[in-house]
Amino acid sequence: MAKGNNSEYKKMIDQQYKDLMKHCELHMEQIEKDLPEPREDLHEILKDRGFSRRDFIKWTSAMTAALMLPPIFRPLVAKAAENFGRIPVVWLHFAECTGCSEAFLRSSYPNVDTILLETISLEYHETLMAASGYQAEQNLQKAIHDFAGKFICVIEGGLPRGLNGKYLTLGPKGKTGIEVGKEVASKAAAVVCIGACAVNGNIQAAKPNPTDATGVGRALGISTVNIAGCPPNAVNFTGTLLHYIMFGTLPPLDSLGRPVWSYGKRIHDYCERRSHYDASEFVEEWGDKSALKGWCLYKMGCKGPYTYGNCSKVRFNDGVSWPIMAGHGCIGCTEPAFWDTMAPLEKPLDEKTYGGGEKTVDTIGAVLTGAAVAGVAVHAVASAVRHHQSDFFKTAPTSHKDDRTEE
Amino acid sequence: MQKYLGIKEWSATLRINHWAVAISIFILIATGFYIADPFTIYKGETVDKFFMGNVRFVHILFGVFLIFLSIWRLYLAVFSRFHADWKDFLAWTDLKGLVQQIKFYLLIKGHPEQKYLYGPVQALVYSGCWGMVVVTLITGVILMGAGYHAGLTSVAYFVLKPVENLLGGLAVVRYIHHIFTWLFILFIVVHIYMAFWYDAVLKQGTVSSMIGGTKFKQIKE
Ligand code: HEM
Ligand code: SF4
Ligand code: SF4
Repeated sequence: MAKGNNSEYKKMIDQQYKDLMKHCELHMEQIEKDLPEPREDLHEILKDRGFSRRDFIKWTSAMTAALMLPPIFRPLVAKAAENFGRIPVVWLHFAECTGCSEAFLRSSYPNVDTILLETISLEYHETLMAASGYQAEQNLQKAIHDFAGKFICVIEGGLPRGLNGKYLTLGPKGKTGIEVGKEVASKAAAVVCIGACAVNGNIQAAKPNPTDATGVGRALGISTVNIAGCPPNAVNFTGTLLHYIMFGTLPPLDSLGRPVWSYGKRIHDYCERRSHYDASEFVEEWGDKSALKGWCLYKMGCKGPYTYGNCSKVRFNDGVSWPIMAGHGCIGCTEPAFWDTMAPLEKPLDEKTYGGGEKTVDTIGAVLTGAAVAGVAVHAVASAVRHHQSDFFKTAPTSHKDDRTEE
Repeated sequence: MQKYLGIKEWSATLRINHWAVAISIFILIATGFYIADPFTIYKGETVDKFFMGNVRFVHILFGVFLIFLSIWRLYLAVFSRFHADWKDFLAWTDLKGLVQQIKFYLLIKGHPEQKYLYGPVQALVYSGCWGMVVVTLITGVILMGAGYHAGLTSVAYFVLKPVENLLGGLAVVRYIHHIFTWLFILFIVVHIYMAFWYDAVLKQGTVSSMIGGTKFKQIKE
């Protein structure tokens, strides 16, 4: 019977996948009709950069799996990648360091993801475009007009809200970041925040946050797709965009707007040093014997247990390495306000100090406990003295009236 | 000759609950501090060791015990057939009594009339302690759910995820959990002292009452 059920179930799943594939094919046909040809052909660029067809196929398999789709979707992922350059993108820079763009576009170990980003149809990108001043402003207006409701607005950088947003002004007309953001976001098909600054303000929003900076979603009061991280992994952005190209919808997001497929599990859950954590094998000092053996970095302040992300799985620089593999703990860069909540970055959480001194919660706790013990000792002595002096304790309390039985 | 009248103070279920909670909290403090600040075990091969894993297992096991013990205690407070004491936890609302009680503790004035099962200060502290238990349980379940994504835990985590976000993420949740551990230690110091102090000054067998269930009252011949 179980077998019968299983095949029933399998049939149902197969049908669901078939429907999904159909939907996906139709959607991509629509895109091919609606949106202009990519300016550059993906396969040409890949060939130029020395990537073989095989490399591309390998990449599509990995990406299909990463997006939690079964292997039959591989050709569709490949097709979506070819169509990647059709999606018009307006890329805005607010309060940030442009590190995310740098990390994505100037990798010294480019992989298919970074190359995919080069094919993107960037209608406007302040760092990369040649235009400036009024001309740049015109380009922006043209892009959001021509592709209204179709373009993806990618935002790098947070928004300072202090002084009516005047801590950040952009362009020849001196618009505030908030004004630009509102204008562009209102016409976009979706707003994707790249990096911790756009997601929740990052270091600009760390205490004491003089410019009252925050993430784009909160500053503009809109919901955004949050590709968190400082910088985030390019895969998490390309994958999310591929999902959008394939299905016309954004992938499922967690309660902080991060795509579940990339931010669904903690660093600690998929860390290659985890077996050393469970075995109580910790690095106690930078460069000690345990460090050479690759033991767990918890005591060196690793924040992997509090951080959602897929760094251990996708790694950086074409899968060469990632922070914990390189020997430094995770600093929790995908989490809200991580400069404040994860500090001190190279010590465990309970060594957070107060008042600029050495006072940690453990010292405060120990001192209070000592004080409590001393306090009760004094009280005990005082009670004994009182006892000998008078009949202070002789007046036993009258028992309270209640419903209990007397024996 | 002095005679003593025995009064049944605590039901057997309540006593069992009390000691189960006490043992659980002691174990949770010990294992919790290990998780917060572990020592390294250098000897042996990685495959043969699982100390942190076991400590976490024990911590979470007793954490879940504590959840059920707390629910049981809440049930007793409301529905106990011997004495449902939820009203006694509100003894501190009698502000005059509260002041008198503090004067007694400061050895200024004699013991005031006791209207409830717990004195006003005692009721305040006990209510606070159960509040602490609730906070620790909630933060504990969030930490548990962050690492285990199946069964009832995942349901609880789904429900509590907004709390995690509101507090500012897992790091803050973990930190609060840690701070409350210290509050439990402070509570334990004062609680044990007060139990012995009452025992010593009023000679009613306060300490043993939580074991045998009976308090004793002196009566004059
Ligand atoms: C009186 C009750 C409790 C005390 C004193 C206590 C204490 C602690 C302490 C000190 C830590 C380490 C925090 C840090 O790293 O700074 C901890 C961690 C933790 N506690 Fe508790 N705890 C209590 C109850 C619970 C309960 C009820 C649960 C869940 C059912 C729980 C689950 C956890 C979990 C999951 C962790 C994190 C361990 C890990 O994933 O590595 N705790 N606890
Ligand atoms: S290195 Fe960090 S993420 Fe890895 S097991 Fe240790 S604490 Fe967890
Ligand atoms: S390991 Fe942690 S700090 Fe490093 S990139 Fe990943 S989430 Fe950020």
